[in-house]
Amino acid sequence: MTSTAQELHPAPVLEPGRTILELHGLEKKYPGTHALKPVTLAFKAGEIHAIVGENGAGKSTLIKLLTGVMPRTSGEVIWEGKPAALATPHEAMALGINAVHQEVVLCRHLTVAANMFLGEENSRFGILQQRAMVKEAQKIIDDLGFDLPAHVTLGDLTIGQQQLIAAARATVRGTKFLIFDEPTAYLTRKEADQLFTLIRRLKGEGVTIIYISHRMEEVFELADRVSVLRDGTLVGTRNISETNDAELVKMMINRSIEQIYHKEHFTPGAAILEARNLSGKGFENVSMTVRAGEIVGLYGLIGAGRSEFVTTLYGRHRKSAGQVLWEGKEVQINSEHDAIKLGMALAPESRRDQGLCLNLPVGLNLNLPIYKRISNNLLISNAQEKTQADRQIADLRIKTPTRNALASSLSGGNQQKIVIGKWLAHGAKLFIFDEPTVGVDVGTKAEIYRLFSALLSKGAGIILISSYLPEVYELADTLHVFRRGKLVATHGFRTADHEEILTQALAEKQEKLGGQT
Amino acid sequence: MSTEAIPAEKPKRNYNALFGLTLLALLVLLWVILSVSTSSFASANNISNLLRQGSMIAILAVGQTFVIITGGIDLSVGAVVGFATVIAAMLINAGVPVFLAVLLTLLVGVAIGLFHGFGIVKMGLPPFIITLATLTSLRGIGLLITNGNSISINNDAFQEFSRNSFLGVPNLFWMVILVGIPAYVFLHHSRWGRYLFSVGSNAEASRLSGVNVQRTIFMAYTLSGLCAAFVGVLLASRIGIGNPTQAEGWELQAIASSVIGGTSLFGAVGSVHGPLLGAFILATINNGANLLNVNAFWQRIVTGVLIIVIVYFDGLRRRGGK
Repeated sequence: MTSTAQELHPAPVLEPGRTILELHGLEKKYPGTHALKPVTLAFKAGEIHAIVGENGAGKSTLIKLLTGVMPRTSGEVIWEGKPAALATPHEAMALGINAVHQEVVLCRHLTVAANMFLGEENSRFGILQQRAMVKEAQKIIDDLGFDLPAHVTLGDLTIGQQQLIAAARATVRGTKFLIFDEPTAYLTRKEADQLFTLIRRLKGEGVTIIYISHRMEEVFELADRVSVLRDGTLVGTRNISETNDAELVKMMINRSIEQIYHKEHFTPGAAILEARNLSGKGFENVSMTVRAGEIVGLYGLIGAGRSEFVTTLYGRHRKSAGQVLWEGKEVQINSEHDAIKLGMALAPESRRDQGLCLNLPVGLNLNLPIYKRISNNLLISNAQEKTQADRQIADLRIKTPTRNALASSLSGGNQQKIVIGKWLAHGAKLFIFDEPTVGVDVGTKAEIYRLFSALLSKGAGIILISSYLPEVYELADTLHVFRRGKLVATHGFRTADHEEILTQALAEKQEKLGGQT
Repeated sequence: MSTEAIPAEKPKRNYNALFGLTLLALLVLLWVILSVSTSSFASANNISNLLRQGSMIAILAVGQTFVIITGGIDLSVGAVVGFATVIAAMLINAGVPVFLAVLLTLLVGVAIGLFHGFGIVKMGLPPFIITLATLTSLRGIGLLITNGNSISINNDAFQEFSRNSFLGVPNLFWMVILVGIPAYVFLHHSRWGRYLFSVGSNAEASRLSGVNVQRTIFMAYTLSGLCAAFVGVLLASRIGIGNPTQAEGWELQAIASSVIGGTSLFGAVGSVHGPLLGAFILATINNGANLLNVNAFWQRIVTGVLIIVIVYFDGLRRRGGK
């Protein structure tokens, strides 16, 4: 066996059950937010320790601290009995701490093998031993039971397959402590099973695993212990055999559903928008109506066609068939500009990529859709620019020192308020919210939901897209379920239970059959 | 304000103005040092000369800055200047009234800018590539038209313009003001200016907010082409010839002026006054080096070093401000 193959087996680890990593009052503050309040927690060697919590609960902050991506504000970390600074990613890796992120952070243009050995290439006299590395990588992949070629370009694989490669890569570098951050978000059931096999095997070899997931069933399937984070606080740790779903959810939320989801029912008015047998890239034959005063929820997994459907409505992509009616009249929407002129507004899924100009001031972001209105043919009215921005900041309670602060300096929740808020002054009739509460804390969530009611009361209609079932379930007057580009079911407000809707969105039985043959 | 106040950073805009002031201070400092260390710097003649030298690069830098703010780059401006001298010279020698000749030359600049916009928006080419292609092609076209010869302009009034002064200030410098003031209003007080910033910051977010991103990009390159053609007219007036090989390397000086003036090559950060100051700082360095009899080769080296130093300190300050 060559040197690279030996690295598949982790470095000698502590005997199972002994404490490998201790956190004492670990804490992280950002300007304006207390992302992680002092956490004290000990991880045992060879355990699978799940961490659950809502978006914005502090899970990703914790990972960033443990992997040295960010320095902690205060607190102590004890690694194998000795204090560790964890100031750089390099230091964390040297100790044996690795992470597999939700998003694949590898080089998409390099081959699978090159990625596996990135930074630890096998070379002889300075010449890369490419063939040897491909062979080695293939052996590791086969050994793990993944049916993937090592010589292809990583970018040619699906996201799920890339995720498996990222996991495989993390196992070859003397890893003693491995963090999985929502690894199954983009995986098919079959790929997820392969990943679980890998995780159990690592545990068998004495590696400590932190497993972060939104999916309760995975937590109960894999974990030995589970810790719950809420609003940056560690609420508690339980042995998995001594807890249940209901208890964990209660720990995660700590308030009744009614307190978060603010739902007022309005009598629906006239139809604002109607899609008739609409088809386009990523979805086909979708029909639905949105009326004034109602929330239409679109539920489905990522890639089920919900976002594609609304971006087509919004003129981003061309429809291939079907009709769109706006207030009863057929319209052609060929660009975002057309959609906005009609009275549509879209708050996109990804704040950073699509929603905000991060390195520009808050005020400019808020006014971007309405500059036409607050300027004459030539000049912007400075007074109006200021008053409009300040009014939105006050109305939405955006926490920012001034309207001139850069959008990037705000917390996620406040950034999301900008993405939504910029449309309020614009006065749209139909609002499309794509995953509006991802990465937003519970308090801000409730504020955003209240905002929905305010919009509805003014006669607007809302399309709400969410992968988080309770959200659409508790808010939508009409709930459409998407699966693989098709609208597969429609429900009224709370007329179906969670399980039924989940089954419709997943159709897991068929997929399991199809996936494992 | 009713919002919850968070202490910490001060508003950014003050900082921008401050940066403008420190550049101005640097310029003044250079002038004071040169006035003291050389006998000829402070002479009216030399100052006029310096203003003339700096003016053309300054105008180019303004157009360049619009493009850079959108996150692009315009490498063609030097070639456009050279090409424009040829067009202006030919038109004037053909008996076209000067006013009309100038207008037509400017239209050629607009057309070149539109072509860049087309290449970027419609053909999906990177700005670096399309403007690099124009850079070499325009020089070629110009050489083809002129057969490699210079065209002497036989119109004294046209050439007089660049030599004359108004209220004791060279006409060429008045041209900087003529371009600078509308450019300032456009960039900082019109919605199109805001769109340049928003596109440079996040094109996708701007599109989803109803900003016509394609038109904004067309606009930026068209304005850069227009500025370059205008500089071409001024250069033709100053040297009295049309020659496609003129203004070699001016695109780099324009970019350098813009960057010294605080423009970020990553887009979304920039001003009008910054590049203007940047251009005159560069002009002062060259002028001063001549007066001090510094070897011309050294001048280039010093300019390069200064670009690194100024931009490095600007970056330090920016990061420190965060």
